[in-house]
Amino acid sequence: MNANTPALAVSGASFSYGREPALEQITFELAPGEAVALIGPNGSGKSTLLKGILGLIPRVGGTVEVLGEATAAAGTVGYLPQTEELDPQFPITLEQVVMMGRYRSLGWLRLPSKRDREAVARALDTVGLTARAKSRFGELSGGQQKRGLLARALVSGPRLLLLDEPFNGLDPENRDALIGTVERLKARGVALLVSTHDLELARAVCEEVLLLNGSQVAFGPRDRVLTLDNVQRTFQGVGVEMDEHTVVLPGHEGH
Amino acid sequence: MDLAGFLFDAFSLPFMARALAVMAVLSLVAGVVGVLVNLRGLEFISDGLTHAVFPGIAVGFVWGGQQGLFAGAMIAALVAAVTLTLIARSSVPTDAGIAVVFTAMFSVGVIVVTREADYAGQLEQLLFGRLLTVGPAEVVQTIVICGVALLVVLVTLKEQVFRAFDHTGFTAAGYRPLLLDLLLNSAIALVVVAASSAVGNLLVLAVLIVPGAVARLLTSRLWLLFPLAALFSGVAAWLGLALGYAASVDFGVDLPSGATVVLVLVAGHAVVLLARLAVDRVRGRTAR
Repeated sequence: MNANTPALAVSGASFSYGREPALEQITFELAPGEAVALIGPNGSGKSTLLKGILGLIPRVGGTVEVLGEATAAAGTVGYLPQTEELDPQFPITLEQVVMMGRYRSLGWLRLPSKRDREAVARALDTVGLTARAKSRFGELSGGQQKRGLLARALVSGPRLLLLDEPFNGLDPENRDALIGTVERLKARGVALLVSTHDLELARAVCEEVLLLNGSQVAFGPRDRVLTLDNVQRTFQGVGVEMDEHTVVLPGHEGH
Repeated sequence: MDLAGFLFDAFSLPFMARALAVMAVLSLVAGVVGVLVNLRGLEFISDGLTHAVFPGIAVGFVWGGQQGLFAGAMIAALVAAVTLTLIARSSVPTDAGIAVVFTAMFSVGVIVVTREADYAGQLEQLLFGRLLTVGPAEVVQTIVICGVALLVVLVTLKEQVFRAFDHTGFTAAGYRPLLLDLLLNSAIALVVVAASSAVGNLLVLAVLIVPGAVARLLTSRLWLLFPLAALFSGVAAWLGLALGYAASVDFGVDLPSGATVVLVLVAGHAVVLLARLAVDRVRGRTAR
């Protein structure tokens, strides 16, 4: 691996839950310190692609390489799942949730050391939740839970982060905090793949854009890819207006 | 009779001491395993396991008496744990699958036992246990089986909690949930086996589920749940045995010991639940 090795290289990849491919022919690269926005309507395969890269959904064709390796080493990839599936009554503190991100590199039977606890404190600091470390996870607001899971994804010091709809349902304060965190991570050389249906946000934090609609519509630098024509092809049937500054989609909760 | 006498005198008798030893070990392990059952919401699966282990117990008992019971139960338990783990992974709705497979197995057990001459007494023993007549060999067997179950759970404890909290995140971190599920279901099955001769096949479920539920009511601090559940069920077992003994010796009322222990467990749960509701109510008022 050298300095030019992409953090993530996906080539001709298809993913499938069963017989029918869920997502076909995906090809793109992500360089260290850059962010790719994954944009498409609901059901277009954004989560499928993230899970496919992680190996949670079988890949039926093509290749996926993380830092030049076919199998990512433990702790090199961080993942922020959608929070809706988690039990709010689960008796666990934010700090304990973040510590889970260290378990894999810690190994079986080993208890967290001082180093692990320091890493957890740093990750909480990065997402701005140090004051809530001892709070029960389920008592946090939706936005804070997302930031907490982001801290869990960060705590093993990954080179690649996969974020599934991190900005969904966030209030402006949490949204700004998250944008700040993403910028800091990029400055540290972390590569990010961020699924969102917020085009404005994609423009704010991502250099490149991958448009999805069951298959790949377009990939490239955001200003070249986010054309009215491309966006219309991605959100087929949904009226799209576009001017010099913003893309407004019906049902899109923008600012 | 004073309180100390009530709590300690009975256990100077060897058969009572053995019953206490069996229940103490069982409580400790069932408490720890039971917290995971609670966190994972595996109550119904645990019920399925108790049903599935029954034919093993029955066949083992008919074939080799008390010694055969453990062997048969062990084989049935491990087969059931694997089957169950695979059912839970398949696309068939889990609850229906478990109910179908395991009630069928339970019926097989009942048929096997009824082939025996004096089946009524034996069936009762298998279903409700015979805590006061466990022999020294069974005490050792219980300790060994519980020890294995405890080891399996302790070695994977932090991973089990991770998996219980966030299945997707757990898999994404590179873990294999199948392995952990097999281990946890096996540990549950081992507890069912260990408890079979003591509290019987039907009452095992209370020992597995009540302590975890009580611990959840007492605290929301994760690592405190495990010792609390074990402690609660240990104390309940002790009280239950002492109560059964006092009822029999002082009042001439013969209480089945396994069921008495379970009732004390459940009564303890009721007390803690009421206390929790009261505390929440007071807190709710002061918060407003």
